[in-house]
Amino acid sequence: MHKQHSELSKNDLFSLWLEGDLSGQQVLDFEALCLNDDEFSERVSGANSFIMASEHYQSTEVPNWNRDSTFEETQTTKWWQWQGFASLSFVTSCCAIVMVLTGLQVRLDEGTVTISFAAKPSSQEVETLVNEKMLEFQQTQQLALNQYTKNLQQQQLDASTQLTQYLLSASRKERREDFVDLIKHVNEQRGDDQLFYARQLSKLQQDIYAIPMKSDIGEINE
Amino acid sequence: MFEKSDEQLIARALQGNKKAWLTLLKRYEKQIYHYGMRMTGKNEDALDLMQEVFVSVFRNLSNYRNEGSFKSWLYRIAHFRCIEFYRRKKPMQGLDDVPEVESEEISAADAIHCHQENRQLINAMQQLPLAQKAVVELKFFGQFTFDEIAEQTGISANTAKSRLYGALGKLKQIMEVDYA
Repeated sequence: MHKQHSELSKNDLFSLWLEGDLSGQQVLDFEALCLNDDEFSERVSGANSFIMASEHYQSTEVPNWNRDSTFEETQTTKWWQWQGFASLSFVTSCCAIVMVLTGLQVRLDEGTVTISFAAKPSSQEVETLVNEKMLEFQQTQQLALNQYTKNLQQQQLDASTQLTQYLLSASRKERREDFVDLIKHVNEQRGDDQLFYARQLSKLQQDIYAIPMKSDIGEINE
Repeated sequence: MFEKSDEQLIARALQGNKKAWLTLLKRYEKQIYHYGMRMTGKNEDALDLMQEVFVSVFRNLSNYRNEGSFKSWLYRIAHFRCIEFYRRKKPMQGLDDVPEVESEEISAADAIHCHQENRQLINAMQQLPLAQKAVVELKFFGQFTFDEIAEQTGISANTAKSRLYGALGKLKQIMEVDYA
């Protein structure tokens, strides 16, 4: 257990040394380990030799190479080829769908912008709508009433005319019938009179013829 | 004459300024080239790797969010490009496998670009597995802390430490043999 703990400490110290982060006490511990621990000392010396070798590494100049091949010309895209148009179109479509589904209404009324998300109209709008409907209904009714009145008047006029015509025609007929009856009566009277006069004349004639005969008889008788 | 910061050069390079990009590239090309030399051991491979790293950096430049230093971000990309390069070159070899030593000495062509004092160190590093080599490279040549190394390589700080200790042990043996 103690050995494992010290092993961990050695690793930690070694890594801190590599990072250059050893504090005062840690430096002392590190140096003590280098002196007393052969394995640790060898590890440190190996690291040191590699660090020295790396420090002596000569960074020679880079051979000539085709640097231009790493640069890819980016063609300047025109504004109508802007990549964001597809996304913008999609977002706009989504907004339009949402606006339709939620029944979005934007009203500008006397400098006030009202945005509502329901198809249900406001009370003011309902009132206006009702008023409009009522006015329309009233106008329709007025027109219908006027038409009805006009029709009724026309009907009454027609009826009066018909009645008058009827009365006129009826009185004319009656008068004609009366005249016919009168003429008939007069004719009958005249017929009767003619018959009476004919009889009278006939009687008279008989009387006239009867008178000589009497005188004849009287003469006879005489 | 004031030198432009990495961030200023990146902003201009993103606007398509080639000069700014080349200035930024030249600022770090030596570090990346020698990173490649130590990681691959060959001048040709180091140049190929450097080109791949800078092409990748340029393509991902817009993703750099100024979180941490540009150097740290650059080495992170270099590390992943190096692993890809390694897998392409040696597909049958794992990152923790000890590589087969192809040649004790650097080839004559590579020696032209390699300083005499560097040869032993580069040869020694080629005998380490890639996972250990990457930690040694980042610690002693990149001067990164264990936490930064852990972030760049995607491992824990403790794993980075244990890889470094293992690598130092091997390097000590290799270099003792070489110097003997």
